[in-house]
Amino acid sequence: MIKVRVKKTWGKFGLDVNFEVPHEKVTILFGPSGSGKSSILRLVSGLEMADGGMIQKGEDVWYDELRAINLLPQQRSVGFVFQDFALFPHLTVEKNVAYGIKEKKRLKEAKDLLSLVGLSGYERYYPGQLSGGQKQRVALIRALARRPDILLLDEPLSALDWETRRQLQEDLKRIIKQFCITTLYVTHDVTEVYKLADYVVALESGRVVKQGTPEEIFMGRRLSTRIQVVGKVVDIESDPIMAAVTVLHESQYFKTLIDTEEILRMNLSIGDDVVIGAKSSDVILCKVFAEA
Amino acid sequence: MNFTAPFLLTLKLSTITTSLLFIIGIPFAYWLAFSKIRLKFVVESVVALPLVLPPTVLGFYLLMAIGGNSFVGRWYEGVFHKTLAFSFQGLVVGSFIYNLPFAIRPFQLAFIGVDKKLLEASWSLGRSKLYTFLFVIFPLSRQGVITGCILSFAHCVGEFGVVLMIGGNIPGITKVASVAIYDEVQVLNYGTANIYAAILLAFSFVILTVVYFVNRRFLLRMF
Repeated sequence: MIKVRVKKTWGKFGLDVNFEVPHEKVTILFGPSGSGKSSILRLVSGLEMADGGMIQKGEDVWYDELRAINLLPQQRSVGFVFQDFALFPHLTVEKNVAYGIKEKKRLKEAKDLLSLVGLSGYERYYPGQLSGGQKQRVALIRALARRPDILLLDEPLSALDWETRRQLQEDLKRIIKQFCITTLYVTHDVTEVYKLADYVVALESGRVVKQGTPEEIFMGRRLSTRIQVVGKVVDIESDPIMAAVTVLHESQYFKTLIDTEEILRMNLSIGDDVVIGAKSSDVILCKVFAEA
Repeated sequence: MNFTAPFLLTLKLSTITTSLLFIIGIPFAYWLAFSKIRLKFVVESVVALPLVLPPTVLGFYLLMAIGGNSFVGRWYEGVFHKTLAFSFQGLVVGSFIYNLPFAIRPFQLAFIGVDKKLLEASWSLGRSKLYTFLFVIFPLSRQGVITGCILSFAHCVGEFGVVLMIGGNIPGITKVASVAIYDEVQVLNYGTANIYAAILLAFSFVILTVVYFVNRRFLLRMF
């Protein structure tokens, strides 16, 4: 369990949050751009210092304003995955992964770890020779290589194209489960929340506005001015221009029209999990009266 | 007359000065690149002074600073039983200070140019600042470091005013190639002066060509 209670001000923007990251679960910091999600990761990792509050991992205090404790990033056991990968361009893939490993046989260990993310045979490649998805896999396994207490991911999929993102969501889920590691994951993408989160901390303007499971966050009280429904595609009827997509959500069918081009771009097919989103201003709400 | 002595002395002075600039300049440039103290710009101005000062002004103050009446000069004489001014060691001190900006500035710019995210990645992987410097910053700055070393070496080969002010013109001790040219012209020996000058010209051209070849983009950013 990691407890985060921090305050920090940058110019006019103020961050003031208090939440807990459950042990060996994936907690997603969710919110719009500028809500302070990435800043929280930097404060937890020690790359930036808070103005006040406390960060505690179990009994270990990483930061405490009152006791003047502020551990360096090197002293906090974190694995940080950056949005733009931050791989060392002058080191090979295996040396990147081995960088944080302090034991002997670090290259052997790096090789074994690379096979976990399907990158066997890429040991001698340089980051510049890899695709975006491969780079992010290397960045992920490099962060996990030193067996940190917490894995911090800062919008790790946002620099990737849609298809790669979908594949990596699955890989991320598998690897995080395999390592049984407490994870704090930043995103503004609701599909990533549904795919990966055990717990969600929703942020707006530097404040926690809601915490809970994804279902509690999105199906319960309305968080923002958007309405989202998650379901499975059960039917697609398309002509060259438009397509009607039927989505099944808890025995309810939703039918919506989208451009056929969009269907092709997403490579959408029957059985896919999707989220239907709408502005709440476009939704009419009526009370249903039971027949007497 | 020993024709090659001034050249050998020039090479010796340039090699020692460049080595010292590398050893002392690297940590100093690191400090300039990453320190957050407010008065850093004052230190940067002092380092850059030799770029704009007439060499005679710098040479004059250096002579005052290391001469027999100065604290440094008296201390040196007390320890080594010889004067620092008008000695080869004095020349090294003068060359070091005179060439500081030619080494420090490229080093500093190269260090600053390394993506900050890479440093943060290294720290978050549990590596110290020293380890990060040795295995991330330094390898990624090598073009800037090579450029700084070559530029200061080449500039040292061509220096004249400072050398003449603090070293004089003692054959085999302080009479470097550039001073030798001046001497030959003074005695109207234009032929020998021309040979010295042509060699220095060719040397400077080769050095600069190498520098531009090594890293054209880096130099464009610097000037």
